[in-house]
Amino acid sequence: MSSSAATSSTGSIAVSVWRGDARHGNFQLFQVPQQPSQTILDVVTWIQRHADPGLSYRFACRVGMCGSCAMMVNGIPRWTCRTHVNKVLRDNRLTIEPLRNMPIIKDLACDMSEFFDKWKQARGQFEGSSTRDQQVAALSPGLPRRRIADAATECINCGICYAACDVVSWNRDYLGPAALNRAWSLQNDERDCAGEQRLRAVAGDAGCHQCHAQQGCATYCPNELNPTASIAGLKRMVSQAWFNKGLACHPGKKCGLGKRHA
Amino acid sequence: MDYQTLKTDILILGSGGAGLFAALHALQANPDLDVTIAVKGLLGKCGCTRMVQGGYNVALSPGDSVERHFMDTINGGKWLPDQDMAMRLCQTAVTRVQELENELGCFFDRNDDGSLHHKAFAGQTFDRTVHRGDLTGIEIISRLMEQVRALPVNMMEEHRALALLPSRDGDALAGVLMVDMRSGEFRVVRAKAVLMATGGGPTMYRYHTPSGDKSMDGLAMALRLGIGLRDMEMVQFHPTGLLAGRDTRMTGTVLEEGLRGAGGYLLDGNGERFMLNYDADGERATRDIVSRGIYAEMRAGRTTPNGGVYIAMSHLGAEKVAQKFPGMVKRCADCGFDLAGGRVEVVPTAHYFMGGVVVTPDTRSRLPGLFVAGEDAGGSHGANRLGGNGVANSTVFGGIAGDEMAGFAAGQGTWADIDEDLVSAAIDESMSPLRRAKADINSIRDRLLDLMWEGVGVLRDAQGITRAQTQLADLKSELLASGIGDANRVFALSWHDWLNLQSLIEVSEVIAAAALSRENSRGAHYREDFPEVGSLEESYFTIARSEATGLKVERRPVEFSIVKPGESLIQDD
Repeated sequence: MSSSAATSSTGSIAVSVWRGDARHGNFQLFQVPQQPSQTILDVVTWIQRHADPGLSYRFACRVGMCGSCAMMVNGIPRWTCRTHVNKVLRDNRLTIEPLRNMPIIKDLACDMSEFFDKWKQARGQFEGSSTRDQQVAALSPGLPRRRIADAATECINCGICYAACDVVSWNRDYLGPAALNRAWSLQNDERDCAGEQRLRAVAGDAGCHQCHAQQGCATYCPNELNPTASIAGLKRMVSQAWFNKGLACHPGKKCGLGKRHA
Repeated sequence: MDYQTLKTDILILGSGGAGLFAALHALQANPDLDVTIAVKGLLGKCGCTRMVQGGYNVALSPGDSVERHFMDTINGGKWLPDQDMAMRLCQTAVTRVQELENELGCFFDRNDDGSLHHKAFAGQTFDRTVHRGDLTGIEIISRLMEQVRALPVNMMEEHRALALLPSRDGDALAGVLMVDMRSGEFRVVRAKAVLMATGGGPTMYRYHTPSGDKSMDGLAMALRLGIGLRDMEMVQFHPTGLLAGRDTRMTGTVLEEGLRGAGGYLLDGNGERFMLNYDADGERATRDIVSRGIYAEMRAGRTTPNGGVYIAMSHLGAEKVAQKFPGMVKRCADCGFDLAGGRVEVVPTAHYFMGGVVVTPDTRSRLPGLFVAGEDAGGSHGANRLGGNGVANSTVFGGIAGDEMAGFAAGQGTWADIDEDLVSAAIDESMSPLRRAKADINSIRDRLLDLMWEGVGVLRDAQGITRAQTQLADLKSELLASGIGDANRVFALSWHDWLNLQSLIEVSEVIAAAALSRENSRGAHYREDFPEVGSLEESYFTIARSEATGLKVERRPVEFSIVKPGESLIQDD
């Protein structure tokens, strides 16, 4: 089906857009005029503004800082606001779908709740010991652990790695690359004091050991982070802790530290 | 139309620096409180705190002082700021930055000795801007977001606020009407205290920087309730927004100030430098001066193919530029432009709204139960905001709002009765575009953005503003007669486009009225027919209010409660 508002002149792109909701859907074809400076988000916006006002999608910052507009473009997860059409156009065609591995709300918008729930499950928040009334810690940027923490920090939680991860598709409980990458960064933060609890949080059945190092996350992260390497770091850390203290805790069982865990 | 009614102690609208800090502080003050955050996008992901590039002004360096930060803020604001608010901002920024580092886990850039790095930022007499590279906002909002998500807060993501609901007697705010954008269902949230922290955002200009979800909904709702808005003529333009042609979302987004600071050139359409014709500092002059210079060139027709000017960095060495500004170079490259080695088209772009609801330094509005913080609140910045004072403002006052609301909710706050007829009327009004036949909403948006840019933009005069007011009135009538031709309310972007336009037009009318009222040129407001600054001693600020007879703008004298023009808190100045 082709849109009535669109023209099919030589300067147009054939765009196949996924339409539907959590239950069912299919692809709809639109002809979108091509422009010299045009991102995938511009293509989607053009369709909503000029061809079908009912098209649903999500975006916010327009410039690669918020990670709200990620979609599958020709089968690959991408920030649509920062993907130039020329970079991905094949035979004058584009296919745009909602991000993989997350429930669809409508059309190109998916529900990211589980992605953020897993961030929380991985204890992806800092837990320090000093307060707002104390000075900021003097920490040289060159310290080895700081460098590791920093290297994993520049994540904007766009969900691209999560969509790229096959383990997430197989195992819906798997915490996923972004949450584990955050946990790794925190495990290397000298100021954080929840390392032990966090290690337990990422050592379970849904945690770091599930990663098969297929590198989908590292391949597609637009910020060029390497969650696979972070997860490998966590695996080492968990093993070390296991040898040192018998960390391998299971819910309800007594661990090597003599504590029971919920 | 049916709607669901929910009850919470504290309702927060918005999840930027202000909204998230408010939630955190409210629950720290009283963990038994029921706190709800409602936001138009995803929690922590929409809005503009995330988009902060420069950094956070804080007097933490040896030799710097809160008084010096305060004086820079007052001078930068051209003596219009509410001095008690500005002082509270500068004082509390110190604890807030320590809180961000020590309690939330932000890690700002360090010197080799491990101390915080403070960078220089335009308009300040001391290097006091704490930052993380040139993407400070991502660090702040990511750390805040993960803290808040770990707390027992009710999240209403992708919920749009449609109306502030007063109590039956009109003496207090009783709640907010919202629509769940995912399902299209309406919800009334009754709350003892409400924080409005929706983040302003002047997206009614042809070129603008804020995120796409921003459309002045907060100020529009406040206006409809008869609440006074101050400094509404004060719209800050950033000189270098990316220009990529029509129908491109990236157009208007900021190319950072540091490019000019590092020695970048601005060139007209013929490739000639022009800023030295306007100011001895050339490209390194302040934001307002450079914006006016570019605007004047554009008006004279010396433009690039898309109607702007060029920024050129290559004379500094393409490799060096790529090394120093990796984020900006990559962003431009992704969009098809070569910033390091070529020229990139830029335009001045509407960036920040200094105006907002009149509040006390503890974030209270005149309506009991309504608290306001961040870009929705006016007063801290006066006629111009210093780079680095924006995220300081939202995080400082957001935290204060959380502390205050916790006390208010436990004390005088009640779940006041709501007038159900009012709710039904507001729902009915919001659904009106769904009932009407499809009209060209895009054309209305284009015309709004053009008329504000031309009539109430970088350079203003009475004739242009008056013309814009007539056009706004026509556009409003046209919008109210327009529909979107689709009754489906589920994730209905086009419906929300219409509602966004309604908010934007209503607030644009206030900007125009306030701009006409101020007959001098201060900070971001430049009147070609009144180019003088005017007497500093007799400084006034504007307050606009919607009344039965129409918009009323009054002038109120600035209270120099801490320092008078000609005086300084700094001994050696």
